[in-house]
Amino acid sequence: MNTYNMVKQRFIKKWINTLHMLDSSIEHPLNVTERKNAIRLSSDLAIAAARSGSTVWSRALISRSGNKTTNKPMARRILKKARNRMKNRCRTLRRNGNFTAKVGVRKRTELLKSLVPGGELIDDKDYLIRETLDYIVYLRAQVDVMRTVAAVDLVTGNLTNDRRNK
Amino acid sequence: MDLTQGFRARSGVVGPVAGLESLNFSDEFRHLVTTMPPETTGGSFTALLEMPVTQAMELLHFPDSSSSQARTVTSGDISPTTLHPFGALTFPSNSLLLDRAARFSVIATEQNGNFSGETANSLPSNPGANLDRVKAEPAETDSMVENQNQSYSSGKRKEREKKVKSSTKKNKSSVESDKLPYVHVRARRGQATDNHSLAERARREKINARMKLLQELVPGCDKIQGTALVLDEIINHVQTLQRQVEMLSMRLAAVNPRIDFNLDSILASEVSIN
Repeated sequence: MNTYNMVKQRFIKKWINTLHMLDSSIEHPLNVTERKNAIRLSSDLAIAAARSGSTVWSRALISRSGNKTTNKPMARRILKKARNRMKNRCRTLRRNGNFTAKVGVRKRTELLKSLVPGGELIDDKDYLIRETLDYIVYLRAQVDVMRTVAAVDLVTGNLTNDRRNK
Repeated sequence: MDLTQGFRARSGVVGPVAGLESLNFSDEFRHLVTTMPPETTGGSFTALLEMPVTQAMELLHFPDSSSSQARTVTSGDISPTTLHPFGALTFPSNSLLLDRAARFSVIATEQNGNFSGETANSLPSNPGANLDRVKAEPAETDSMVENQNQSYSSGKRKEREKKVKSSTKKNKSSVESDKLPYVHVRARRGQATDNHSLAERARREKINARMKLLQELVPGCDKIQGTALVLDEIINHVQTLQRQVEMLSMRLAAVNPRIDFNLDSILASEVSIN
């Protein structure tokens, strides 16, 4: 049972959905930067939806992306599903400050908190590391899939160019 | 077209036949490549270098090839052959490690409604074998925080063996969970047997175990001693991954005029990922 492949597959399915939704609700034409933002947004929503569990980073990512897309009904549909899950599951986060951290470690944990979405809300170092681990797996899946898609795009782009030229 | 036939031949290459087929294929390719440049002087990237087309083909089978390469390459090594046309850094995507991490990263909270409560963790002790699971100490620390009177009773609970939630039923958010053995927390000779120090020791052990797993996941991290440096590597890794996502989305945006262009490409890549 290859679970990393399953992660990638889930991400791909969600990404197709979010791309489609986002595209149907955005006015064309767009310049490159807006397109890039839309692609980035859709893929972030896709990894968060693929995780779709009770991790802090996925919920924080969804709510962070929600601020970027303002009045798009499609995005609202995606977020509504995620928000219901948040209501059911979100109780108080673990708070346990009974550990002494050395100075270097503390600075670095602050930095890590700023990197991982929703990390600022986590006080416990143990939980932060667990969240980071989960987040890294899904980030890797995102990068792998996007790289493969870009490669396939490159090849098919050349194919269509050749057909047109010939 | 000749190119598509070449592709089909390439995708059929397996094992010992690889030599012959690749030979024919490269001849075909050289022929194609030499006839291409005059047509595509406009700026097709493949015309600039001869290699990228074959390497783009490699990338079509990226997951398979890289995982087989990763097995032969030691961790922390950047495999040189996965040269991307745009020179992006590729990590040795050891699928085995990522599977372990994917299994590890599942946080199942379906036992109770309490999100912060019983979360099922799994710590790999040896590759692919039994996963040790540490007891849901959160539940006990939660109760400790809420009422101080119970702190001593919860400490006594920790002195005994920590029970394990053997959640065999699969939930939607949990990808997989195995039956796990007990994790004993014993006070060694000469160490304090306080409730609080026991709890602290247990937490430290949990953190260290997870740091070890993170070390394995982040390439090049196992040689480092000390929490601060490991955290450095992890931060570096997360930043690199996020930057890569940014760059890749920029590339995807630049290639095509619409943003739902790559649905076919995604489906094609999904096939190759299997």
